[in-house]
Amino acid sequence: MAAAGRKHTLDAAAERWFEELDDRGVFMTDDRLIVRRWNRWLAAQTGRRAEEMVGRALLDLYPALVDRGVDRYYRDALAGEVRILSERFHKFLLPITRNFHGAGLTEMAQTARIEPLVHEGSIVGTITLIEDVTERVIAERELRNQITASEQARRLAEEASRLKDDFLATLSHEIRTPLNAVIGWTRILRTQPAIRSQAHALEVIERNAISQMRLVEDLLDMARIISGKLRLNIDAVPITDVAKAAVDVVAPAAAAKQITVEVLFDDGLPTVSGDADRLQQVVWNLLSNAVKFTESGGSVRLQIKSDHGKVRLSVRDSGQGISPEFLPYVFDRFRQADSSASRRHGGLGLGLALVRQIIELHGGTVGVESGGVRKGSTFWVSLPTVPAFGTEAAPAAVEPREPVTLKGVSVLIVEDENDARELLVAMLEDYGAEVRAVGSAAAALEALQGGRFSPDILVSDVGMPSTDGFALVREIRALPAEKLRRLPAIAVTAYANPEDRVRALVAGYQNHVPKPVDAGVLAVAIAQLIARPQPRNHA
Amino acid sequence: MQLTAAQQDALVELLNIGFGRAAASLSQLTGHRVLLDVPQVSLHAIDEVGVALERTVHGHVASVHQIFTGPVGGDALLILDEAGAAILKELLTSEPALPLAIDASAREVITEVGNILLNACLGTFGNLLKVQVSFSVPHLSIENVAGLLESLMVSQQGIRYALIVHAAFRLRDTQVTGYLMIVLSVASLDRLIRAVEDWESAQR
Repeated sequence: MAAAGRKHTLDAAAERWFEELDDRGVFMTDDRLIVRRWNRWLAAQTGRRAEEMVGRALLDLYPALVDRGVDRYYRDALAGEVRILSERFHKFLLPITRNFHGAGLTEMAQTARIEPLVHEGSIVGTITLIEDVTERVIAERELRNQITASEQARRLAEEASRLKDDFLATLSHEIRTPLNAVIGWTRILRTQPAIRSQAHALEVIERNAISQMRLVEDLLDMARIISGKLRLNIDAVPITDVAKAAVDVVAPAAAAKQITVEVLFDDGLPTVSGDADRLQQVVWNLLSNAVKFTESGGSVRLQIKSDHGKVRLSVRDSGQGISPEFLPYVFDRFRQADSSASRRHGGLGLGLALVRQIIELHGGTVGVESGGVRKGSTFWVSLPTVPAFGTEAAPAAVEPREPVTLKGVSVLIVEDENDARELLVAMLEDYGAEVRAVGSAAAALEALQGGRFSPDILVSDVGMPSTDGFALVREIRALPAEKLRRLPAIAVTAYANPEDRVRALVAGYQNHVPKPVDAGVLAVAIAQLIARPQPRNHA
Repeated sequence: MQLTAAQQDALVELLNIGFGRAAASLSQLTGHRVLLDVPQVSLHAIDEVGVALERTVHGHVASVHQIFTGPVGGDALLILDEAGAAILKELLTSEPALPLAIDASAREVITEVGNILLNACLGTFGNLLKVQVSFSVPHLSIENVAGLLESLMVSQQGIRYALIVHAAFRLRDTQVTGYLMIVLSVASLDRLIRAVEDWESAQR
């Protein structure tokens, strides 16, 4: 075959290869930017066939190229330059819509290259290569979003971990403070039994022990709320009674700082639906917070009014106020405006978080307004009310306290922990009971079956190693001796929620007293059980 | 071979024309005001370039490389250290850069920036020399300075010189410094410098 013929064949093959190239767009123009070649990919993507394109001016076919300044790139190419068009700067060269994974129509992302075509030293035209980079752009966007999301998650986790660290530091401090007072004064009492200020020492010890107990109760409440185990004993509650009780509790603290507590209640307030103890905890928290953050001689106002079918309770103080930056976080747990070691106010930062959680469990809402630092603040809660058809709520039944005596009552105490056991013994002996105490369920069964001690009542701890209090009472109820099967029994437990109470009663106890045990409450419970008809045989 | 003060001044002045053109293109493309600072120029024998560059550039560099041919021929490169390239991409596109090795979009952006700057500067030289310069397709590579220089010296005979031009991009209150490197044979360099001198005397 002649050389010319071979070249002709090769040119024809190259021409066909170019036309059929189907993974990118290629088109050529002459030096007047008249389209001379338009490959199959471009025809397929743009819907414009080569026959329509060839012979027409590129900038007439795509006038937007001029508007976007891309015509300059073609002039540069005709001056010998190679131009790159990145997707980021240009998005695309030719507008092409494509259906991407059925995600609707999108503009095809493109990168392009415009080069001069040179023949024998002179520029005879341009060639343009277009690549579809839509998938790449989407993948990069995904990757970038994932990186952003994971960074954000990391920041949030760090923030949460920092708050927990702060909280643990605060917790350690808050737990140690009352302990210092308790231990210090106890040592003084032991080493100087004749000290004159004994009454004062005992008062300090009691006050600090109570303060620590509140702290632990707050922690337990928060733990229950976090694990979704807080249950409400919903009833129709006269909110003013609850509020008055809370005012009584904070009155001494307010008086000590010469803070006046003003109380404003609307007449004829509807009863709200809720748990009276929890609502009192809410009001008490708001009031004691107000007293805590108000300077001596300031004032606190508790107001309750009807508000469009709800009851709105607000506590306004003339205290140090809240900075706008902290305001959104006031009800977050573990947050305190000042968690530094040099802070002026104690506390765990749980009180307001508990308030919010409890109120939200009641289907209510909480909020706070403050004019800013030193401008005072107003906390409010809004609670749903009970429809008023004859549900005149019974006033909280407070039985008249008659002096209780357990003289002649013999009690068997089962408690694995030495201190707690001794405390129970001391409490009940104080009421005149004849007490015998053992440290385990096995010892209790032995004592009961030994026959030498025949108690009138059993008082047992629930959480004990090997055999717990539930199992103990079940075994007692299955014993052959009828007196033992019918032995009155009271459970004492730190798990002070309604389920535990039900569990104790189902297991065979007649009553349930929460820890820390109040001697009076336990004595009354014992006295009531002894006086009551004996339980029927469970067997 | 060394540049006289007058030759340096004239080169700086010419390069400024190219830098101005490139800065205007980048501003138009990105919608941000981009400035390219008045360059400094120095001339080095190619085997001394490594020492000169390694004083200021550390680790891997991203380089945009274009070969130009014609009456005057050689290699033109924009060199940025990897961090600089990433920052420049972030500034120009307002989106965070990933490591260049996995960020094809960032590589493309840097390639286009290099393409714009190299074409602008060499175009200015071409106009001055009244010659048509042809360019290869720009190519981006990420490697250390030694590797980069090695690839420039492979298959090249004779002594070659490199004009090193400091290029400081300034945008959005941030500066990213890179280098423009133009590698020329002795003959091409000679021709360029004579043309620069002629231009300089014609200006007076």
